[in-house]
Amino acid sequence: MNKASRHSIKVCDCQILAHYQFEGEQYILTLASDMIAKATKPGQFVHITVSNSLAMRRPISIMSVDTENGTFDLLYKVVGEGTRQLSQRKVGDVLSVIGPIGNGFELTDKKRPLLIGGGVGMPPMIAIAQQTKDLDYQSFAILGSEVPFPFANKLADNNKDYQGATRTMPELEDWGIECRLASLQDFKGVFKGFVTDLASVYLEGLTTDERMQVEVYACGPHPMLVAVASLAKEYNLPCQVSLEENMACAVGGCAGCVVEVKTDQGIAMKRICVDGPVFDAYQVF
Amino acid sequence: MHNNLKTQFCGLSLNSPIVLLSGCVGFGEEYTRIDGFSNADVGAVCLKGITLEPRLGNIPHRVCETPSGMINAIGLQNPGTHAVINNILPKLDKVETRFIINISGSSIEEYGEIAKRFDDTDIDAIEINISCPNVKEGGVAFGNDPDMSYQVVEICRKNTVKPIITKLSPNQTNIAFSAQRCIDAGTDGLAVINTLMGMAIDTKTKKPIIGNNQGGLSGPAIKPIALLKVHQVYQVSKHHNVPIIGQGGITTANDAIEFIIAGAATVGIGTALFYDPLVCHKINKGISQYLSDNNLGGVDELVGTLALNSTVLTCDTGINK
Repeated sequence: MNKASRHSIKVCDCQILAHYQFEGEQYILTLASDMIAKATKPGQFVHITVSNSLAMRRPISIMSVDTENGTFDLLYKVVGEGTRQLSQRKVGDVLSVIGPIGNGFELTDKKRPLLIGGGVGMPPMIAIAQQTKDLDYQSFAILGSEVPFPFANKLADNNKDYQGATRTMPELEDWGIECRLASLQDFKGVFKGFVTDLASVYLEGLTTDERMQVEVYACGPHPMLVAVASLAKEYNLPCQVSLEENMACAVGGCAGCVVEVKTDQGIAMKRICVDGPVFDAYQVF
Repeated sequence: MHNNLKTQFCGLSLNSPIVLLSGCVGFGEEYTRIDGFSNADVGAVCLKGITLEPRLGNIPHRVCETPSGMINAIGLQNPGTHAVINNILPKLDKVETRFIINISGSSIEEYGEIAKRFDDTDIDAIEINISCPNVKEGGVAFGNDPDMSYQVVEICRKNTVKPIITKLSPNQTNIAFSAQRCIDAGTDGLAVINTLMGMAIDTKTKKPIIGNNQGGLSGPAIKPIALLKVHQVYQVSKHHNVPIIGQGGITTANDAIEFIIAGAATVGIGTALFYDPLVCHKINKGISQYLSDNNLGGVDELVGTLALNSTVLTCDTGINK
């Protein structure tokens, strides 16, 4: 561990400022913490005490930050007891939060980030979009969901139709980030197919020079990440993926949340909490 | 740090009776990522369990939550004795706290070999893990057979002058007898208890949640069991002045005080850190306050002060008249 990592993670009592429910038991939670809002990098996460009755915290990715007001947003879906109890917490309640944690996504000199987020893997992509909005990058975001999207989507201003994908996430549109949606369900204006199919459509629409400028960033269910890594390989694109795993300490102490990684020295078991959660896709898949 | 918390354990001077437990705090530095956390707040840090050769550990999932606790099966992932001695020990800030290495062998001889290697380092003490439930060579086979435990401690004793602490398994019939054999073989201290073997099943897939199928249960769920084991071991160890690290589900100062009353000279904190990384401050403060409130000069005056209930009814109920 390098010395710079010392004291980098804060333990904060954060008040719930907003807590909205969307279809499919999805929730967006707004928490107050000036420290976490200012220190967060895209791809980092927080470790939350959702209830006094559960022995373990829950790791949840940070979706966006508001550094002016000192708040940050999380998107989660009820998948078990922890998220179920979290969904019952009310505005005004205070949660113990540890964060920000982990090595986030690294922006490189590739100027066309291709952001692919599936389900509750969307938040880190939105976080990258927020970071790149004022920088010299031309990001393209693909968000996938099998339940209704946790935002009211709208027709993209540029009217571009990617094989039926015409609608976008309003917040990304406001930030000047082009975005399209994908689902296997019949949603109006949404690409019918896998996020990787839509990614192929996007990549095929680029010139060779433009494609050389693409770096893929992805977060989502394991099969989706496998498919994204395979797509990146096919187009010979660099690819960073964010992983998840059951997590206990979240500071590198227990080695409970590991992933098998290929290194020059052979196979290694890396901790998702502090060695990740972002890894080079070529080392993992 | 509160002055009345300073204590002696196996010849080591500790700032506090708190020992951070092996497997919970990596190789001593990991928790310093947390703002407000300092190793100087604890008496000793027990480093992650190590083996002679490097180990990758078990496949995921390695942890899962259970009622009032969690199951883990990490599988002794570690870089091996050579790398620990050469790359990790030199980086530890030994001014802040005392460091204990935790060793596991696949044979009696291997325990002896690792103990010998660490005898030549500046590590403060060696904890012998004869109770890791999660790998075949993790020592539980040694820990569940008191004679094997004796032989492991004996060979380590021959190979090191460092203080030896033997970590006992609760997954055995008579922990006090095992403790007696370890004391006979020359252990300086005892750690009571390691995790209890447990399982959790995903009802959708009908598979165990833990990759290793089973694992070690820790957390508040095991506290009453750990407390009884400490009490039982203390009945043996007190006659030899062999101190105990009481551990198993401690999350508050009151929990820690219970263990000390039952016979623990120091208290181990592990799973509680995952819930509250700054819990040691609170436990230190609470123990110190309790000592002051009860006019006790230090933790040693509280150790083993348990006043057992008389279990024989002495009142005249008149029933037999």
